[in-house]
Amino acid sequence: MGFWERIEQFDHRWIYLLVGLAVIIPFIFPASFPVSITPEAQSLYDTVEALPDSSVVMLVFDYYPSTMAETEPMAIAAARHFFSKDCRVITLSNIPLGGPSMAETVTRRIANEYGKKYGTDFVNLGYKYGYVSVLKGMGQSIEDIFPTDNSGTPLSQLPLMDSVKNYDDVKFIFEVADNATADYWISIVNAGYGVPMGVGMTAVMAPKFYSFFGSKQIVGLLGGMKGAAEYEILIGHKDAAFRGMDVQSLVHLLIIGFVVLGNIGFFVSRKHRRRIGK
Amino acid sequence: MSGIEIFQTWLVAFFTLALFSFLYKDNPVYKLAEHIFAGLTTGYQVGLIWDTVVLQKLWDPMIYDGKWWLFVPGILGIMMFSRFTSKYSWLSRIPLAFVMGTTGGIFLTTQLHGLVLPAMKSTMLPLGGGGGFAAALLAVVVVVGVISTLIYFYFSKEHTGALGVTAKIGIWFIMISFGAHFGYTVMGRVSLLIGRMQFLINDWIGSF
Repeated sequence: MGFWERIEQFDHRWIYLLVGLAVIIPFIFPASFPVSITPEAQSLYDTVEALPDSSVVMLVFDYYPSTMAETEPMAIAAARHFFSKDCRVITLSNIPLGGPSMAETVTRRIANEYGKKYGTDFVNLGYKYGYVSVLKGMGQSIEDIFPTDNSGTPLSQLPLMDSVKNYDDVKFIFEVADNATADYWISIVNAGYGVPMGVGMTAVMAPKFYSFFGSKQIVGLLGGMKGAAEYEILIGHKDAAFRGMDVQSLVHLLIIGFVVLGNIGFFVSRKHRRRIGK
Repeated sequence: MSGIEIFQTWLVAFFTLALFSFLYKDNPVYKLAEHIFAGLTTGYQVGLIWDTVVLQKLWDPMIYDGKWWLFVPGILGIMMFSRFTSKYSWLSRIPLAFVMGTTGGIFLTTQLHGLVLPAMKSTMLPLGGGGGFAAALLAVVVVVGVISTLIYFYFSKEHTGALGVTAKIGIWFIMISFGAHFGYTVMGRVSLLIGRMQFLINDWIGSF
């Protein structure tokens, strides 16, 4: 059996092992591969940077715990950027599994770094079932949809919510998502109420959302861990996503190598089969 | 780290490794982890719907706030369960018709106004609208890409002649799109693996 035939019949578990090693090695020997900034991330950063201080913004945690590795660094970086500009942050989630508690954990941790106070500087509205009616309803009155915050405190007792009735009082929305709710934020909230939006997506979803950036429905886009790493660089606080990019680069090089080898093996074997008349 | 946090970390590590064990081959430990995950998710969803929909949206407002008219959607919801009996399953068509009607009404306007029209508008770019030659070239590429891709999905006429050439160009645009999706998918899956490795190395092994 020739080399290329052996490649074609390679036990895939060796590939898993090599990928596993490529993930572990950069943790032990960091290489600091460069991370370039895309126009989509830069535009998002510039828009947030241009917001007047103390603006009311929404940070939406529409992701499940299963994609935290990609999405949470975006939410953390966005929260840091908002708090560093003294924005007043309203968080909420359309995801029942983990969304409200992740919003609570992330926002409180980052708020503590910047000395921000719950109720005055940030509020977590939590989760309500039925995202279409929730998104449409908040256009009329946020309090009608969320009479209380995530902990059950009436919104009327939270000073931040005194000046926020509906989307008219929200200057910017940053949606971090791993599912179709991002489409509805764009088609219902941005299109219907004109609130500027930026989105942070899992890498799997990102290609679709480039069209929304092209049509200027969103002001910026973070795609997967790379997008999160870009935003960490832009805000000057390199964190988990940036550290993960070494691994990304190494694994991508490995996979490119596998794709090239696999294709060469396919063509060589096909030529060989034709030659022997099979 | 408190006792409960250590227990939590070890539990998460066990289930992570149990699921990874499938990469070697299917085994009982993987099956155990898979079934526990499926059971937990189902149980959580049932509890969540009961609390946030049945209690918060129906029962409490009807009983404690005097919104008696909510019994109408309540009965419509109960009618959905008639699907489990062959004799009365026709009853479920009434709430289904209501759901389809309202969903169609809401989505027709939002999808058209929020997705289709802006996408069409962004396709119609002026050739001399500033940005120089590169922007004009990009505008042409976008138009050629949209038209040729749409023609690829036009099946009422055989793809021969000019139609066939245009459809072939459409295939190239679709393939480039698939390539971008594949690249991003690889990055996404690797990110998830990185997340688990970060947990195993930093949180689990780091706690020894």
